[in-house]
Amino acid sequence: MEKVIDVSNLVKKYGNFTAVNGISFEVEKGEVFGLLGENGAGKTTTLEMIEGLRKPSSGEISVLGFDINSHLREIKERIGVQLQSSAYYHFLTLKEILDLFSGFYKKHSDPKELLKMVHLESKANNFVDKMSGGQQQRFSIIASLINDPEIVFLDEPTTGLDPLARRQTWDIISEIKKQGKTIILTTHYMEEAEILCDRVAIMEKGKIVAMDKTHQLIEHTKHPYRVEFILEKDKPEIISQLQKSCRLDECDIKKLPGKEAHYEMKLKTQTDLNEAVGLLQKENPESLTVGRATLEDVFIELTGKAIAQEEAEEENA
Amino acid sequence: MLKLFLANLKMMVRGRQALFWALMFPLMFTIIFGFFFGSGSGSVGTVVLINNSNTELAQGLDKALSESDVLKVRKGVNEQDARDLLKKNQIGAIIEVPENFGAPIPSAPKNIKVIEDPANSQVNSVVSGFINQFFIQTDYQINHIQPSFSIDVEKTNNRTLNYFDFVLMGLIGLALMNSSVQGIAITMANYREDKILKRITTTPLAPWKFVAAEVLSRLMLNVLQIGLILLIGYYGFNAHIYGNLGLLLIFSLIGGLLFQCIGFMIAAFAKTTDAAQGMSVAVTIPMMFLAGVFFPIDQLPKWLLTIVQYLPLAPLLRMVRTIGLEAGNPFSNPLNIEIVIGWIVVTLVISIWKFRLSDE
Repeated sequence: MEKVIDVSNLVKKYGNFTAVNGISFEVEKGEVFGLLGENGAGKTTTLEMIEGLRKPSSGEISVLGFDINSHLREIKERIGVQLQSSAYYHFLTLKEILDLFSGFYKKHSDPKELLKMVHLESKANNFVDKMSGGQQQRFSIIASLINDPEIVFLDEPTTGLDPLARRQTWDIISEIKKQGKTIILTTHYMEEAEILCDRVAIMEKGKIVAMDKTHQLIEHTKHPYRVEFILEKDKPEIISQLQKSCRLDECDIKKLPGKEAHYEMKLKTQTDLNEAVGLLQKENPESLTVGRATLEDVFIELTGKAIAQEEAEEENA
Repeated sequence: MLKLFLANLKMMVRGRQALFWALMFPLMFTIIFGFFFGSGSGSVGTVVLINNSNTELAQGLDKALSESDVLKVRKGVNEQDARDLLKKNQIGAIIEVPENFGAPIPSAPKNIKVIEDPANSQVNSVVSGFINQFFIQTDYQINHIQPSFSIDVEKTNNRTLNYFDFVLMGLIGLALMNSSVQGIAITMANYREDKILKRITTTPLAPWKFVAAEVLSRLMLNVLQIGLILLIGYYGFNAHIYGNLGLLLIFSLIGGLLFQCIGFMIAAFAKTTDAAQGMSVAVTIPMMFLAGVFFPIDQLPKWLLTIVQYLPLAPLLRMVRTIGLEAGNPFSNPLNIEIVIGWIVVTLVISIWKFRLSDE
């Protein structure tokens, strides 16, 4: 596969604070690559360095085969950028903004087609601030497509949207992928990354703590199986029985906050899973869900570990 | 860049609030000053004349006062009402000519009475000066004397100019300063807050083109401002404008450029739109009063004058007045253009050094 982004040993320091700490990764043509992490993990800083908006303290970035330091203009001609919570001019209509931005590039897409793609053709003559959050976000995505870019950068494209608007945005992102464009996005919604991304890198305190194909990350987690159940009332003896059945250190069982007897159990093997489900069924639970671990479980496992490690290091120091 | 320039113009027209401040504020000033001091009125105030004498002398004074340009005369008001008007500041003074004043009889009164408001020194000095002058001339006539000494007045130019003309040129400077300093500083800070500047930097557009489009569209607004102020001043209130309008426009726009540089400099330092607003007001309001928009700054104490004459607006106003009112050569005092260019260079260097579209 053709590499379109190549980042190596990227570092960004602000005084004594290291926002991005020596990360390296590649993005291949046509894939959706996700940068995941909590707020402040360094996702946006990384993205903005690749877009040429921030200067790296050290490390190398090449985009579409061009070095970012010497060929930024060429790169900007061929990428599309949607900024996190960016506003557009207040007193220009959607169509006027698209026309204006198309003038900044050599190559352009048709503004009408773009508006049609996100069902905003009837709003072409409206001002941005007269639209809903979801509509603004959709507009902000197509505005990044005005130069028919090869790579599209989307920084938290669904933050603050309601579930319906979020799903509409997902559809738009898959539509962009279908056009053969490479997408690199940041998000802190694991469900979103699981659905949209071919590959993800999980960032924690400026470092990449895991990077792989999304489904492989999940399969390689310590506890790939997951059982969730609600009992009629709390029975501690059942819980200890369950723990024994799956050899204490091999499973992770915990009470979920909220309801009285709502538990979550994470398991290592299929055998453990069968045993646990057999035991539980005898108890006639009010609800029993069996499933695979999610990206969120992977994320919590990895970042939880990273935080524990850091705390230990701090104690040692 | 042309697209951006046109888009900027569109936004300026649609952003009514900004347009209001840029156009209505100076126009309001023009109209207010026009009503007070315009329309060729050179009078310093109104006086009430109560003339109780029918003599030739009394009628002569009456006629001279009525024909004078410096005072407006009201008649047919009794003393009590006139005193009320004086208290309410509706008139400047009362001139009362007693019965038989000027009659050729020994008992005839020799004095006329002037009732004045001590606070209104301008009217008072004009009234006493006028009446004294009238009596001296009358004395000369009665005694057939020619005055031994007199003055020859030579005006620096033979044009009629009044305070309104002076202020009108000041208002051009004020309008340029307010709309350019505040307009640029606030718009840029706002664009930064809304991440519009950052969004622009994600495109291949060269930053200088973005700035140039902004500057040019503001200069267009400046042309509109200057045009409206001059039109209203000239046609609405009979302002006297003698200079070459093209030259006046060019020098005004140099001023516009200078103030835009100040605006960019403020935008480089202000972190938020509110800060930009505060900083531009802090720059423009003192300059409005200290650089000679409303009154000549040579009335200021000398130590203050030596400082304020170098404020950016001051030399600009001196040049604009030289061109507009005296049809003079703006380079006759090269210090003025030197100060303006000096300020442009300093603010431009700081802006280029500090003002960034991106966050870093």
